Amino acid sequence: MRCTEPLDAATLTDYGLGLLSQGDEERVEEHIFACEECSGRLAEVQAIAEGVRALGRAGSLMMVVSESFLKHAGEHGLHISRYDPPVGGSVQCTVTAEDDLLVGGLAANLSAASRLDLSLCDPSGNEQFRLVDIPFDSGSGSVLWQQSITFAKGAPTSTMVARLIDVRESGEETLLGEYTFNHTRTLPGPAAW
Amino acid sequence: MESGPTELVMRIAGGNDREAEGEFCRMMGPRIRLYGLRHLRDRESADDLVQQVLITALETLRNDGLREPEKVASFVLGTCRMTVLNQRRGVRRRQQLLDQFGVEMLAPAPAAGPRLDHQKLANCVQGLKERERAVIVMSFYDQETAADVARFLSVSEANVRVLRHRALHALRDCMGVAL
Repeated sequence: MRCTEPLDAATLTDYGLGLLSQGDEERVEEHIFACEECSGRLAEVQAIAEGVRALGRAGSLMMVVSESFLKHAGEHGLHISRYDPPVGGSVQCTVTAEDDLLVGGLAANLSAASRLDLSLCDPSGNEQFRLVDIPFDSGSGSVLWQQSITFAKGAPTSTMVARLIDVRESGEETLLGEYTFNHTRTLPGPAAW
Repeated sequence: MESGPTELVMRIAGGNDREAEGEFCRMMGPRIRLYGLRHLRDRESADDLVQQVLITALETLRNDGLREPEKVASFVLGTCRMTVLNQRRGVRRRQQLLDQFGVEMLAPAPAAGPRLDHQKLANCVQGLKERERAVIVMSFYDQETAADVARFLSVSEANVRVLRHRALHALRDCMGVAL
């Protein structure tokens, strides 16, 4: 039977995350127990939530993360391999079979930044990929960039240059920092892609 | 043909209708599991809750019936709430009742909803805008409060909700599920 007053996806998500007031939560539960359609949609939200949790544990996403993300991962027994190259400098890095997460700490003065992009380049400086409008805390003085551990474990020995770029409304770009990661492959695999 | 909940309640009250009891479990099990995931926060505990609530509900329906069978959904929800309360008080009589009702019919309900293709989900999450991805991961993996996510993104808590909603819609479209 079709539901005549379906709960919206935002409400179902807030319910799953425990963000509703007690009254709203009870109202949602009354509805869910009586409604096959909405309980099915809640199950879909939960399935996506569980899937995202699994991706977080797997370290397979390339993204900017927070210090609390790393703290949470560490508390749950994940092994974090972290490299903090100096601004304008380089770091030798690798990834082992025991590593669960791979993170680069990119220090920069972010106090005047408006929109921040993270550009990933080859050793010649040609941009290969750009993370546009990344989240950052202007007072923190650094960005934590997680590289996909799945990618890193399969990657041959190679060099990647990361650039933090402040992008003004006019489109003008200012380089805030450049960081070179010299990755040495220590796991068995092909010498090149 | 499948029966409605009210009809099932009356059939169960009528005696040994194992088919009706099985259908009742298949109907209510996934909903109880969702309640358990919300309030107990892990899959194993949610599966345990499904068994306990179904046992208690069937026991009541078999022996006493419901005065208002059309309110069976509220009855099961109420049983969930009482069971979680009792769990927190450390009340346990599960094994004895499992023996009485049998473990087969009361096997944990399969996770309701679609079985997600995890590689596809990874691609879909990777395809989100940076801030949307951060909100989704911080909310679901990290279980950060809205205030913490808002601080990290330098936006308001209301904006966090909007970003999360937008990201879920994008994931829905990408995954091809109807939220």
